[in-house]
Amino acid sequence: MGLLTNLKDSISRAASTLFSEEDPKRIGIYGPPNAGKTTLANRIARDWTGDAVGPESHVPHETRRARRKENVEIERDGKKVTIDIVDTPGVTTKVDYTEFLEHDMEKDDAVRRSREATEGVAEAMHWLREDVDGVIYVLDSATDPFTQVNTMLIGIIESQDLPVLILANKIDLEESSVQRIRNAYPQHETIPLSALEGDNMDEVYDKIAEYFG
Amino acid sequence: MPHQCTNCGRGFDDGSKEMLSGCPDCGGNKFQFQPEGVDATETPDAEPPEPPGPDSSVARTVGKTAASVRDFVSGSSSTDAPDSRSSGAPAGERPQSEPERPSSTTEDAAQASARGDVVEPDELPSAAPEPSDDEHQFRPVGADPDPPEEPERDDRPDLQELREELNDQFESIKVLEPGQYELNLMELYDREEYIIALQEDGRYSIQVPDPIQSE
Ligand SMILES: Nc1nc2c(ncn2[C@@H]2O[C@H](COP(=O)(O)OP(=O)(O)O)[C@@H](O)[C@H]2O)c(=O)[nH]1
Ligand SMILES: [Mg+2]
Repeated sequence: MGLLTNLKDSISRAASTLFSEEDPKRIGIYGPPNAGKTTLANRIARDWTGDAVGPESHVPHETRRARRKENVEIERDGKKVTIDIVDTPGVTTKVDYTEFLEHDMEKDDAVRRSREATEGVAEAMHWLREDVDGVIYVLDSATDPFTQVNTMLIGIIESQDLPVLILANKIDLEESSVQRIRNAYPQHETIPLSALEGDNMDEVYDKIAEYFG
Repeated sequence: MPHQCTNCGRGFDDGSKEMLSGCPDCGGNKFQFQPEGVDATETPDAEPPEPPGPDSSVARTVGKTAASVRDFVSGSSSTDAPDSRSSGAPAGERPQSEPERPSSTTEDAAQASARGDVVEPDELPSAAPEPSDDEHQFRPVGADPDPPEEPERDDRPDLQELREELNDQFESIKVLEPGQYELNLMELYDREEYIIALQEDGRYSIQVPDPIQSE
């Protein structure tokens, strides 16, 4: 048993001792790039704390490092639920600077961006293992949800026994199909919403309170 | 010595596990990939007490991960979740000094050299194939390591070698070329430590775990 392992063990022990009912749970917002994770994180933060988490962008990998908003108090039925929300970079198996070149970016910027994005994904995967207490998994309901990455991540989350809420985002789009997501992941409850338009946020907050409260 | 502490310059063997708990000399926790024969500022008599064999914890972890990925992909029940809190953690003193966040020194070097290397759009490897769905398929580690076809490039000859060395050691991230990465999510998830700073020439720095940054 090495020192590093010992250290880690004692850290998680300390963490679980400190973790009481009132402590905010750390909720990771995961999902593929461009699903609307940052848009959702910002909406939650704005609705309940008044300020935003970070910039949203149609350019993939705008969020290259996880951002956290602490002590977001959500009130449901006179009950308060406090969470820390962690907006993560989109998880992918491939990062390629050439896709940024289409977005009017110089090569050196594009290369740096993909390097940072890759590092960000590495971090996000690492935290999934021990630093989050629950997951909001955001999918773009206008695209095919049945990808290897989604299946693998949801599988990892299940194996960790983390509470997970699947959000079918972008229901304002014509191509949106919530049912396609329900079919892909029938073992989980899927909540439709538009993070951009703010549609169905009440149900989202109900479920956040129910799952992570 | 392929690895070097970015703080005190101490060298480490390929795959040395010592680094994983910080530099035993100065407590630094950032290390740079230092290819054999390149700018060796190593201390010549620093004998690593734990020379890595083929049975290093990294190798074991990779093997284990490959197995769990195969389980996963084939859909067989893997109720024994990937529990690879590797017990082969390093021996050696955990330094007292506070780990610092990735400093900008290494990053700056890479950025600077990136800036000095502006390429006309038509020089770019446009031959790179459009990613098809198939290419997003997860490739289990340990499977036939068929290297992806790369377009002929006018590279320094040792670059390819460098990348392969990096890839061998860190199956979690494959550097196809600077700015193009393939990520092994299961392996990243499984790792005790993680790569913190990739550099465009195939170098990297690693850092031991650190809690989530607060904004
Ligand atoms: N139509 C529509 N677009 C959305 C919605 N949510 C996010 N977007 C857009 O999708 C793009 C990616 O959003 P972002 O939050 O940055 O995605 P992230 O990569 O998952 O963080 C942006 O252009 C957003 O404006 C939504 O509910 N409906
Ligand atoms: Mg984002």
